[in-house]
Amino acid sequence: MSAARTAAPVLRRGRTGTRVKAAVLVVLALAAGVAGLVAGPAVTTADVAEVFAGGGDPLARHIVLNLRLPRALVALTAGACLALAGLVLQSALRNPLAGPEVTGVTPGAVLGAVTATGLGLAGWQSPTAVVVAACLGGCAGAGLLWLLAGRERGDPEQTAVHGVLVSAVLTGATAVVLLIAPGELGSVVQWLVGSTEGRVWRHWELLWPWALCWGAAAWLLAGPLTLLRCGDEQAAALGLDIGRARAAALACAVALTAGAVSAVGALGFVGLLVPHVALAVFGADLRATLPGAALLGAVVVGGADAGAQLLSRALAQALDADRLTVPVGALTTCAGAALLLIVARRRADLR
Amino acid sequence: MRRPPAPWLWLLAVALPCAVAALSLGTPYVPAHRLPQVLGGDGLASVVVGELRLPRLVLALVAGACLGAAGLVLQEALRNPLAVPEMLGVSSGAALGVAAPLVLSLSVPLAVQPFLALAGAALGGLLTLAAAGLGRSPSAVLLTGAAVAAALQAALLVLMVLADQLDLQLIYRYLLGSLSARTWDDVTGLWPWLAVALPALVLCVPVLGVLRLGDDDARALGVRVGRARVAALGVTVLLIAPVVAVCGPVAWVGFLAPHLARRLRPGADAAGLLGYAAACGAVVVVCADLPARLLLAPVETPVGAWTALFGVPVGVALLKWRTPERSSPAPAPGDRAALRKAER
Repeated sequence: MSAARTAAPVLRRGRTGTRVKAAVLVVLALAAGVAGLVAGPAVTTADVAEVFAGGGDPLARHIVLNLRLPRALVALTAGACLALAGLVLQSALRNPLAGPEVTGVTPGAVLGAVTATGLGLAGWQSPTAVVVAACLGGCAGAGLLWLLAGRERGDPEQTAVHGVLVSAVLTGATAVVLLIAPGELGSVVQWLVGSTEGRVWRHWELLWPWALCWGAAAWLLAGPLTLLRCGDEQAAALGLDIGRARAAALACAVALTAGAVSAVGALGFVGLLVPHVALAVFGADLRATLPGAALLGAVVVGGADAGAQLLSRALAQALDADRLTVPVGALTTCAGAALLLIVARRRADLR
Repeated sequence: MRRPPAPWLWLLAVALPCAVAALSLGTPYVPAHRLPQVLGGDGLASVVVGELRLPRLVLALVAGACLGAAGLVLQEALRNPLAVPEMLGVSSGAALGVAAPLVLSLSVPLAVQPFLALAGAALGGLLTLAAAGLGRSPSAVLLTGAAVAAALQAALLVLMVLADQLDLQLIYRYLLGSLSARTWDDVTGLWPWLAVALPALVLCVPVLGVLRLGDDDARALGVRVGRARVAALGVTVLLIAPVVAVCGPVAWVGFLAPHLARRLRPGADAAGLLGYAAACGAVVVVCADLPARLLLAPVETPVGAWTALFGVPVGVALLKWRTPERSSPAPAPGDRAALRKAER
């Protein structure tokens, strides 16, 4: 009995429900984007509205149109990419703990990007090289985990533990690279934690074609991935070429992660936890869940971006410090760690 | 059949050349045979060797020994070959405790820093144990620890983003674990802590041997398992905190050293392994400090980066390709099969 066939009537029955949920998420994503636009310092909500009506003074226009808008768009897109990558990875490996952070993809991508920047091969002038290097690094990280996990690939928790070890090695390598070429340590550190500070149209222009292309690829893979979730034997019995489908899914996940990392850095826990929420909301049929996860990721990262801006504004007022900015990655990591604690606790209780 | 040479001979054979190299290599180069003469004399070379290289070597030895012993205590107490300070949030907590006042530009006397590290390490470790529960499966503890460590790391990164460029270099190096520019003052600051930690370590060793039998057997023998684990964690924190306060969390030594010790003394119990774990830790840090100091000269790289780069793969390899006939019949922690069994 294939899950796809059983899922079909369920999907037909739940289609209106899915549409409502998707509409709610679209509204939420828009709200997160708007919140990101108005949350920053110095420009009030009324100013932002005026700018979009076509008026406003030049400074406000510049801030809103050239700084805030690309920042919000980059945050939303990167969130969608990370969530998609996480869901694709978890489905392809049949491992609920296989986020891009845990499988060595994100640390590898960071290492690749840092190395390319440190060697002078890439910089803000040639952002394409950063993406390519991040991709290569992501593949290397995933490959390292593949080698390390050996025969215990099937065990989700073992893989996660090995992933932490791989991350440790890659972080060590990143540190060595950073300290050999210490020129831009400040900007690179923001990258390590994941930040949307100072993202401009250049980043957006680079990110969206990549995200669109690989997002479409992920959506095309939705059918095979749903089958892979049911188990290798069932998928093979239904005529799926398992090896090829899994390789395509992995390539897609690595590419999506690399794109997101090269744009906003390593945002913690988005790729690990958002897919779980998406699965809980939309069910196991990935044809509905993949777009849902993308929307949800956009909502989470966009909302976290707005939250980080509000928080840094509040902190700057409270502590009377100008240069205080809270990076988005700190918010997502803290929230994600709290969620993971709860999940681990519940899993342990179930045993 | 010839008896294989005693394990401590192996350790000595690695440690001595490394120690001599640590004292003699660098600028100025001091040939090994002139070392005693230079140490006794005066002049530029003797200042460099006596005031810079020698304290660094001693610090590397002490730090490595502490971290190695702490790693062994944690692994034995939680019966989990991957329970290392890094995985349980202990190291990150200690680092956070030291780095926070540095960034927020609060002036803290040198002697107070170990207390801050102690508080941070205890916070991280207790948070993990409290969240994971004491008697739970090893992998649940590890996952929880990874989450706690990630949250603490995020806090550290926020601090780093707040810091200005000059501080950032310092903090980044410190956070990776660096031995550069440490003097005799740093070394002497460690002794009082060791004086407290060592008796505690000796006291907790017999309990570790009982804990290894498994929770049920340990309880039947009259050990309160939960309390024993918390006590072991306390000893670990006592060992790690002063080291982290002085030279930062030298990563993954606590993972590699106990596995090396188990390879050197297969089938030994906790008491037999403890000395070897400490010795292995010391040797590992001294060896790792050589490339950290010399490989990319004149730039110094943090020793922690090298221990992470090479320590983790070697440790995992030791864990995986452990020869089956050597492992003891009882489920020794470190046995892969035991880990899998414990998970079920």
